[in-house]
Amino acid sequence: MGEDERLDLELHRRVAQRDRAGFDELYRRYVRQAYGVALRVTSQDLIAQEVVQDAFLALWRAPEAFDPARGGFRSFFLSLVHHRAVDAVRREERLRRRTERAANLEPATDEDPAEDVVEDAYLRVRRKEVQAALGTLPAAQRQVLEMAYFGGMTQVRIADELGIPIGTVKTRTLAAMRKLRVTLQEE
Amino acid sequence: MTEDHERIEELLAGYALLSLEGEDAGEADRLLSEHVPGCARCRRTLADFQALSGDLALATAPADPPETMLPRIHRAMDEVPLEGRRPRRVALVAVAASAVALVAMGGLSLVLGNRLNDAKTQAGTALEILSAMRSSGAQPVNVAPQGETPPESGLVEVSSAETGTIYLAAIDCPEPAAGHAYQLWLGSNGEWVPVGKMFWPQDGVVLLELKDVDVSRYDAIWISEEMAGAPPSKPSTQWHSWSGELS
Repeated sequence: MGEDERLDLELHRRVAQRDRAGFDELYRRYVRQAYGVALRVTSQDLIAQEVVQDAFLALWRAPEAFDPARGGFRSFFLSLVHHRAVDAVRREERLRRRTERAANLEPATDEDPAEDVVEDAYLRVRRKEVQAALGTLPAAQRQVLEMAYFGGMTQVRIADELGIPIGTVKTRTLAAMRKLRVTLQEE
Repeated sequence: MTEDHERIEELLAGYALLSLEGEDAGEADRLLSEHVPGCARCRRTLADFQALSGDLALATAPADPPETMLPRIHRAMDEVPLEGRRPRRVALVAVAASAVALVAMGGLSLVLGNRLNDAKTQAGTALEILSAMRSSGAQPVNVAPQGETPPESGLVEVSSAETGTIYLAAIDCPEPAAGHAYQLWLGSNGEWVPVGKMFWPQDGVVLLELKDVDVSRYDAIWISEEMAGAPPSKPSTQWHSWSGELS
C-alpha cells in the first residue's frame, strides 16, 4: 500500500470518528475529480453539484459504507460519484440529449488542467495511467466503453444507437475491460 | 452448476459499468447471489472491474466546483446532528412491538430455525437473529409494506446498539424487478442514508446482518427497491418499499 492509500485510510478513519477537519481534507483531495466526472456524465452543472454534494454527505453520514477490505478508497468514492451521476441522468431522462456527445469519442488528453493544484496532485499519476490505458484500446471497444460509462447508456441502448448487435456490444465491452484491467494492473 | 465464465464476465463487465437492463440485469442479479460468492475467479473479476469503474473517473478532467459547495455541505452536515442525541438505554432495542410484529417474529423464528439445516451459509446470520430476538428486552421493529407493496411481505428489524449490529429478516419478501435490488436506509429527522450493500431475497427469505452501524443515530428505517448498483440519494417510492420507526 502506498503513502497516498494510507493517507486515504487515515482520513476515512477520521471521518468515521466525526472529525470535520479530516472530512475537509478528504473533500479537498477528491472534490475536483468527483466534480469532473459528475459534470462529464450529467452535462449539467447544477445536477453535478448535487451529485457531488450528496456523495460527500453520504460519506459523512455512513462512513461504514466503505470497507477497506474490498478495495481502495479512491475507487470506492469515485465509483460512488459515478453511480450517482448515472442515476441522476437516468432519472432526469436527459439521456438522449447527451447521446450525441457520448457517441463522439472524446479523446483522452495529455493536458492536465490540474497540474498546478496541490490537493489532487497524487491523482495526477493515476490519471495519466488511465488515460494512456484508454488510448491503447481499439476505437470500437473504447466507443462502447465510453458510451456506457460517460454516457450512462445501457448496452441495449448502445446497440440501438450504433446499429450493431447487442452481443457485439457485450463482446467489445468485456474486451475493453479485460485490456484495461491488465494494462492498469501492470502499472 | 457449471457456468460459462465468458458469459458471466460479460455480465460482470456490464454490471460494473451500470449498463445492464432487462434479462441481462436479472441474470446478473442471479449470478451475484448464487454463483459469484462461491467462485474465487468471479469474485476477483468483479472486484477488479469495480475498481476499474472507479478509476475510469480519472479519465475525465478534474473541474473546480463552486466555492459555495463545501459550506453547503457543512450546513447539511449540521442539519442532521449525529452526536449528542439520546442514546438508547437497552442493548437490544426496537419499537413498534405491535401484534403484527410479534406474530411475524414467531413465524419468522420457525422458518429461520428450519432453514438452519439446509442453509449453512446463512446459519450464522439466522442464529444471530434468533439470539437477538430471544434476548431479554428485545423487541422487533415491524417494517411495514408501503403503497402497493404486498401487505403480507413485512420485514422485521432487530438492532443492537451495544454491538452496533442491525438485523433484518423476512419470509415473504417479493423478488425485485429484473435489474433491481433492495436497499436498507436509516433515517434521522427526514434525512436518509443508505446502509450496507443492496440485497436480494432468496425464495422470499431475507437474512441480513450489518455490523458497525450506530443505530442510536437514527429514528426510522426504510427498505426500498432500487436499480441495482449504487443507491440513489434518497429512497425510491415508485417500487416496493417498507418503513418503520426506531426509538
